[in-house]
Amino acid sequence: MIDPTATKVEREFKHASPLVACRFDPTGRFLFASAQDNTIQRIDLLTGAKVALQGHASWVRGLAFLGTTGNSDAEQIWATRQAALQGVVGFPALTMAPPQARPFTLISGDYHGKLIWWQGDAALPTPLRTAQAHQGWIRAVAVSPDGKTIASCGNDNLVRTWDATGSPLHTLEGHTSHVYNVAFHPDGKHLASCDLKGNVKDWDLQKGTATRDLDAKVLTNFDNKFLADIGGARSMCFSPDGTKLACAGITNVSNAFAGVGNPVVVLFNWSEGKPTLFKPKDAFQGTAWGVAFHPDGFIIAAGGGNGGRIWFWKGDDPVSMHMLTVPTNARDLALHPSGTHLAIAGGNGSIIVHALHAK
Amino acid sequence: MHAVRFLLVGMVFIGSGLSLHAEEPLHVRIDTLIAAGSTDYARQAAPLASDAEFLRRVYLDLNGTIPTTAEARSFLADADPGKRQKLIDALLARPAYARHMALVFDVVLMERRRDAKVPRAAWEGYLNGVFAENRPYDEFVRELLSADGVDPKQRAAAKFFLDRDFEPNLVTRDIGRLFLGRDMQCAQCHDHPHVSDFKQADYFGILAFLNRSFLFPNATAATAVLAEKADGEVSYTSVFDKSKKQGTTLPRVLGGKPFAETPLPKGKEYQVAPAAKVRPIPAYSRREKLASAITASENPAFARTAANRLWEMMLGRGIVHPVDLDHTANPPSHPALLDLLATEFAAHQFDVKWLLRELALSMTYQRSSEIPAGAMDMPQARFLVANLRPLSAEQLAYASSQATGQTDADRLALGKNATVTAVDAKIAARLAPFRKVFAAQPGEAESNLTTTLDQTLFLKFGPTLRTMLPPRAGNLTDRLAKLKSDEAIADELFLSVLTREPSAEERADVASILATAPDRATAITELVWALLASAEFRFNH
Amino acid sequence: MPQCDYSCGTAEHLVSRRAFLGSAGAAAALGPAGFANAFAARELNKSQKRVLVVFLSGGVSQLETWDPKPGTDTGGPFAAIPTSVPGVHISELLPLTAKQMHRIALVRSLNSVSDDHGRGASIMLTGRVPEAGIAYPHIGAVTAKLLGSDANVLPGNIQVLDRGDSAFGQADATFLGAKYGAVSLGEGKPPADLLRPASLTEESDKLREEFRKKLNDRFARSRRSAATEAYTESFEQAERVFRRSDVFDVTKEDSKVADRYGRHPFGRHMLLARRLLEAGVSYVKVSHSNYDTHHENFDFHIEQLGEFDRPFSVLLDDLAERGMLESTLVIVMSEMGRTPRINERYGRDHWSKAWSVALAGCGIKGGAVVGKTTANGTAIADREVRSGHLFHTYLRAVGLDPTKNFYPNDRPIPIADPKTDAIEEILA
Repeated sequence: MIDPTATKVEREFKHASPLVACRFDPTGRFLFASAQDNTIQRIDLLTGAKVALQGHASWVRGLAFLGTTGNSDAEQIWATRQAALQGVVGFPALTMAPPQARPFTLISGDYHGKLIWWQGDAALPTPLRTAQAHQGWIRAVAVSPDGKTIASCGNDNLVRTWDATGSPLHTLEGHTSHVYNVAFHPDGKHLASCDLKGNVKDWDLQKGTATRDLDAKVLTNFDNKFLADIGGARSMCFSPDGTKLACAGITNVSNAFAGVGNPVVVLFNWSEGKPTLFKPKDAFQGTAWGVAFHPDGFIIAAGGGNGGRIWFWKGDDPVSMHMLTVPTNARDLALHPSGTHLAIAGGNGSIIVHALHAK
Repeated sequence: MHAVRFLLVGMVFIGSGLSLHAEEPLHVRIDTLIAAGSTDYARQAAPLASDAEFLRRVYLDLNGTIPTTAEARSFLADADPGKRQKLIDALLARPAYARHMALVFDVVLMERRRDAKVPRAAWEGYLNGVFAENRPYDEFVRELLSADGVDPKQRAAAKFFLDRDFEPNLVTRDIGRLFLGRDMQCAQCHDHPHVSDFKQADYFGILAFLNRSFLFPNATAATAVLAEKADGEVSYTSVFDKSKKQGTTLPRVLGGKPFAETPLPKGKEYQVAPAAKVRPIPAYSRREKLASAITASENPAFARTAANRLWEMMLGRGIVHPVDLDHTANPPSHPALLDLLATEFAAHQFDVKWLLRELALSMTYQRSSEIPAGAMDMPQARFLVANLRPLSAEQLAYASSQATGQTDADRLALGKNATVTAVDAKIAARLAPFRKVFAAQPGEAESNLTTTLDQTLFLKFGPTLRTMLPPRAGNLTDRLAKLKSDEAIADELFLSVLTREPSAEERADVASILATAPDRATAITELVWALLASAEFRFNH
Repeated sequence: MPQCDYSCGTAEHLVSRRAFLGSAGAAAALGPAGFANAFAARELNKSQKRVLVVFLSGGVSQLETWDPKPGTDTGGPFAAIPTSVPGVHISELLPLTAKQMHRIALVRSLNSVSDDHGRGASIMLTGRVPEAGIAYPHIGAVTAKLLGSDANVLPGNIQVLDRGDSAFGQADATFLGAKYGAVSLGEGKPPADLLRPASLTEESDKLREEFRKKLNDRFARSRRSAATEAYTESFEQAERVFRRSDVFDVTKEDSKVADRYGRHPFGRHMLLARRLLEAGVSYVKVSHSNYDTHHENFDFHIEQLGEFDRPFSVLLDDLAERGMLESTLVIVMSEMGRTPRINERYGRDHWSKAWSVALAGCGIKGGAVVGKTTANGTAIADREVRSGHLFHTYLRAVGLDPTKNFYPNDRPIPIADPKTDAIEEILA
């Protein structure tokens, strides 16, 4: 029984280097977390085994997957049996070899503009293919619902699309500042992207052109004291039914260089393009670094400033209904495909898995 | 005209001779001693200033501004031979005298420091009272040097200490400069290398009055007051002394007797003992001795410095010059005169108005600033000719307001409510832009001997002066526009701005400009500007 | 005992803080006021040395500029790139500057002692740690005084700020006198009141000026002093600066030139700096805001250094092309560096213990690198220098002797901190 107000820490993994991003794989067995040491850490939630993916020479913020969704029967059975034995899901199995992971591909993008394809389920994944995709940072990677198209975006103000094998499809030009995020619409025909200045573009994937601009300028500010821009969608996703687009970030910035501002989720009614601002109830200062739609209809965001937070909103109420304090700045949020768990990637190297239900 | 003036000068010197008579008024004795300071003084000295020249000068010196055209006309037309004395007395009796002196002494004492602990209004109000009531100068200084800021009624007087953040070395140095005629900054680290009279021991003698005091609760609180501990000695070594011999001193003013101290028994050192958040009060206060020690008759430097500074204010140059470098190797230009001024000032209970009146009555003060034809060497220190002095930021603001008729227009606009205070408030509001450009940096002595680009651009193209020019009921351009003849325009223009009649040449210039200018109203405005920007206006002469 | 000489030339005591820009007295400030021809400009440029300070306000990160540490725990996400000097790498955020490295010397081992903005700026600009009882003049005032020439009508110490209005009388000259204080051009705006107001036609101005001069001439027939002459002369000098007001106007540059420098404030300000240096201003400081990146250090350094890189390298090219680089010392400094440690908000904090300064041009050995930090930059590994060493180096680079004294109030004050000396390794 999912109950956001009952959310609590289930497991915590420590890494020696601060983390940058995190994602569950589509089978839900692995949790990937990228770090400031340029590695991507893969945690097998079934066994607790940790493997470092080496191949990037910079930080990875974009993580996306192609391939199988859902657990295999064998994994389910193994997990249930282990739970019965140990009382904890995924506790390291000592007596019985874990089942084979189901195959999937990880595509990761780093701050040197490089995309790497990995066989995510391999015992020790190594780069399958690399592409120099952008000049400067890649800030996000996304995969289309049909798994056929990959999108990346970055500091060259471009959105690029690729086929599953890594061949370039389109270069989408139109942004005039760093592109912070991309997300595929569930219909598979549209792609949304948001830049530093809060311009959201709705791209027609067939034509390769932007059909409209949505205004998320509430997410951006030019700091007149420090003479610099702050903003962008630090996280972006569509609701499963495609009616809403969420962009997370920071608003009301009064001091960009100290991060004084408030976290916010700009929730667009996708058909009309009208935004509603979802804000935490408390007066927290910081940035929302991750946002997700839960299949049950509520919205989750995580972020940090001085300390970390996870916020929950009922789908239609812009005031948060629940809030959790976490012991580190949450730099990313990942929702488990089953909807039962979420994870945050911490600035102190902690990756913390929360269960969204009471025991 | 010139012939008459020479005749007057001649008469004076025939009459005065060189002998001093105690019963003679001070201003006569001043002139005698000044004359004695140069060989062939009578032949070299400039004649007495014309009435117009004197009028402008004495207004600026005693009231900080220039006269209205009505005041100027009435003075110039007055046939009374005693009219200069009458005018001096009248100016000293006006509220403008106290206001001007308050502004002058604010700058002298505070040197444009930020108003952090004592607000400007309270301080100016206090100074205004001091000079309006003509409080004796020694009493005034004692008040400054004994105020601790605790009593709200005395707090304004504590500004001297409080808005220096009671930094002991700064306070020591400024007491030396302002009240003892000695900038002993070098003596902080060693006996002055070039000035044998400025001893390290003298510096530390003053510091010893102060070194136990501090700001309570802390130096940054706007409400801070002075507090004092019962212990703490000063010690010093000369940076030049290789043996690093340590010196120490009790509180002491210059060569005077140290204030001996009897050690108090343990536990009896305090009236209020120090504790957390408690302002201690020592049983014996060193600082309490400072004010009377500085102003005591045993310390001749006090009266001497005071007299020299007031002389400088009126004459544009100290008898000891610079006024804070009084030592044997920088002797006074007229030693006997300085002694006389100091003695008489003290003997007259430090009566500031009395001294200023005597100075203003002297022929030395009333001499023309025009160098006589053929004169070659006119050293400033001989006072053969009146010194040219740039107007202070405040004088420039007040004089510009009067010259352009802003003040007249203000008075007209205020109607029945045109009290001295109300008119003054209008001008005071215009002070800020002048101060911004013409005043010294905080903590620096005022000097306008040279001109910076911003000052010139301020006058040349800046909006402050420009907005004073266009016609407004009762102001100068408004009055000029109503005059029929070019000659009348020239007369009113020169009298209003330069406090004199134009020469024939100048009348012709004005007429020619008005005749050739495409637009008469614009031409009138720019004529006013030209007079305001002239050296004759910029300087007190 | 030496005789008191207050009336002699040493009397800074007597000289007002507000001496006019050029000569204070009636001395004819003529000289190459108009730069009628390129030859005159070139001659002046050869003989007269100048200093340009690019001040990266707030404290630039040494790791994102001159001393990158990629692949370490402190290195951040950026790569180090090769430069025009083999073996010398700098941050990828400075790709154009990297091509100028043969003109640039790096000091990578600066300990500037203070992590405070105000104090740090003072330490970096005066070459000394502040002391009670004396305020030392900034490098701008020092070089304006020692390099300036009365032949130049423009102020000798100009700072272009990215905020505020134009202002005069900055307190940076301290005992040298306000004549050498910085004239600030906020947002690159010309000095206040430099331009003739719209309500005053050229014709009226001419008419009133003629009359003013007549009045002054008459006054001067019988009344004359250094101060009155300085005053009347100041109008002529102001007029000359006014006639050169185009120096302050970057729109006079070809639009292609403006494009090269970049159509943003810092680009315009660097172009303005070039115009001022060309016009013979001894010291120009251009501030670039801001680098105080306690939060998202990396994003902000992309943006700020992205603005810095092009105009800076274009200016070096332009100075070199005009033959001015050999007589212009260029310094890139901040009030401090930033912590190697990256905080949880992707920020770097204040850090003075081990950071870098870049120098180029006059008297500097291009391509030289002095000093070293440890592998992850958390400490100096070799050749620690203080701001005093840099101050000596700046003065030596422009041919001055930093071991000489100033004599305010007859008191000898060493021009540069005598406890330090010049960094010989980077002097040409």
